[in-house]
Amino acid sequence: MIRFDNVGLRYGSGPEILRDVTFHVLPGSFHFLTGASGAGKSSLLRLLFMSLRPSRGLIFVFGENVADLPPPGRTALRRRIGIVFQDFRLLDHLTTWENVALPLRVMGKKESDYAEDVTDLLRWVGLGERIHAYPEILSGGEKQRAAIARAVITRPELLLADEPTGNVDPAIGSRLLRLFVELNRLGTSVILATHDYSLMEQLEAPRLMLDKGQLKVSAT
Amino acid sequence: MSLLSDIRDYPWTSLLAGILPARLTALLPAHFQVTGAQIVPPTSIVGNALTVVLAIMTFLACLTAGGVYMVNQSANAWVDDIASEVTIELDPVNTADIEKKITLVSLFIAKQRGITRVKPLTAEDSAKLLEPWLGDTVSISALPIPRLIAVEIDRSNPPDIERIKAALTQNFDGVTLDDHRRWQAEIRTITRSTALGGIAVLGLVAAATIAVIIFATRSAMASNREIIEVLHFVGAKERFISSEFERHFLGLGVRAGLMGAFAAAVAFQLLPLMMYLLGGGAVTAAETRRLLGSGELDIGGYLLCLLMVVVVAGLCMLTSRLGVFRVLKSYA
Repeated sequence: MIRFDNVGLRYGSGPEILRDVTFHVLPGSFHFLTGASGAGKSSLLRLLFMSLRPSRGLIFVFGENVADLPPPGRTALRRRIGIVFQDFRLLDHLTTWENVALPLRVMGKKESDYAEDVTDLLRWVGLGERIHAYPEILSGGEKQRAAIARAVITRPELLLADEPTGNVDPAIGSRLLRLFVELNRLGTSVILATHDYSLMEQLEAPRLMLDKGQLKVSAT
Repeated sequence: MSLLSDIRDYPWTSLLAGILPARLTALLPAHFQVTGAQIVPPTSIVGNALTVVLAIMTFLACLTAGGVYMVNQSANAWVDDIASEVTIELDPVNTADIEKKITLVSLFIAKQRGITRVKPLTAEDSAKLLEPWLGDTVSISALPIPRLIAVEIDRSNPPDIERIKAALTQNFDGVTLDDHRRWQAEIRTITRSTALGGIAVLGLVAAATIAVIIFATRSAMASNREIIEVLHFVGAKERFISSEFERHFLGLGVRAGLMGAFAAAVAFQLLPLMMYLLGGGAVTAAETRRLLGSGELDIGGYLLCLLMVVVVAGLCMLTSRLGVFRVLKSYA
């Protein structure tokens, strides 16, 4: 599904943030991506999401070499990936329902075709009572669940989550992890970036560990 | 091919929804409507500031363009007036009965082909013409002032001026014909200079307007960068993102442009009154009328103002499009 071959990344003429990163992700798998703050987790996720180009090496996403893809081709692949940000990135002038429906709307689908799905998903993530609320009045946990719902509404094959529990208390963090596990059981591959070891201890899953720009893969 | 297909596939019909108020858009066929909440926030402080800037710049551009248009129209009218008239001068020296001579010359001229009207000017008329230079206290009759005959010519069937000149010289002593060629050339020079000066001012205003619109739109776009990012991350195509912003900024540009153009139209309507109130009375108002014609724009002038609205709105839309692509390029 995803393959990195000797990928390196530097910003401008600065030092390499990622060096010789090589790994692959199989369909239906669950990975933690971990490392200290500033280790390059977010940059690696951005490479996975094709919003950064590597300085060297090859990246294959769903079997396609992203270096060879024109912008429309990258957009088509991006639609098969859901992404959850640590800072949620919800649009404040749209309601929770409208935010979650956004990926379907940008795909050109008719509202009547997806309205029920969006409402059902919001109920599933526990936001059934908040569908008309604007993000500014949602709690941190509610915002994160809305962001997760937006990321999975298109039933992506791969879900990337950048510190999704970073802004919520441990109890909500555990609840969100169960949500990711449930999505994984439904067939979505998950890469969850976190530096929260207590969270990782709650689930046995391979860990992609970033240290000084290099990646090591461990079984648990 | 790519550009052609981009133009063909562009959601042109949705642009109308950006220009018209929501109530009117609701009356349009479904094809023209945009469903769902507006992805670009309809109002913001930055958007309001941009509206004010655009309205002011459109106002200034309309005033300049309208002013140049008006002066140009008046100058063309002067040239037309002058070109349709010639003047016969009678030397007063050595002429015993000047009034008889005027009558004879007038009758002679009236018989020529292509003459529509002959109007001999009285001594009082001549004195009035000299009044701005000599004042009304000087006894004009004591001066050897040439007597004039104003002759209007048929411009669709013009007379042979050279033949008439020769005939006048042959038949009458001290009679000359002035076809205003020198005056026409001078007026044309002044007209061209005025038009060129106006176009230069218009060019400067246009350049300033373009710069201000681009910078103001860029500022407004900067505050919307997060929306572009989110749309990009949820898998929106570049064209979808740019069309959302183009619709928003086109609507904003049209509304602001119309406000500016409307204010300019009101200013043009009030121009004669303002000149009267500010310039000290009827004399200044009359002078203004002489310079600018009626002091009001005709339909051509108002169409020029509408063109300014189109240019301002188009520029605003284009800048937003380039802004979107600049942000998206930073992700590539």
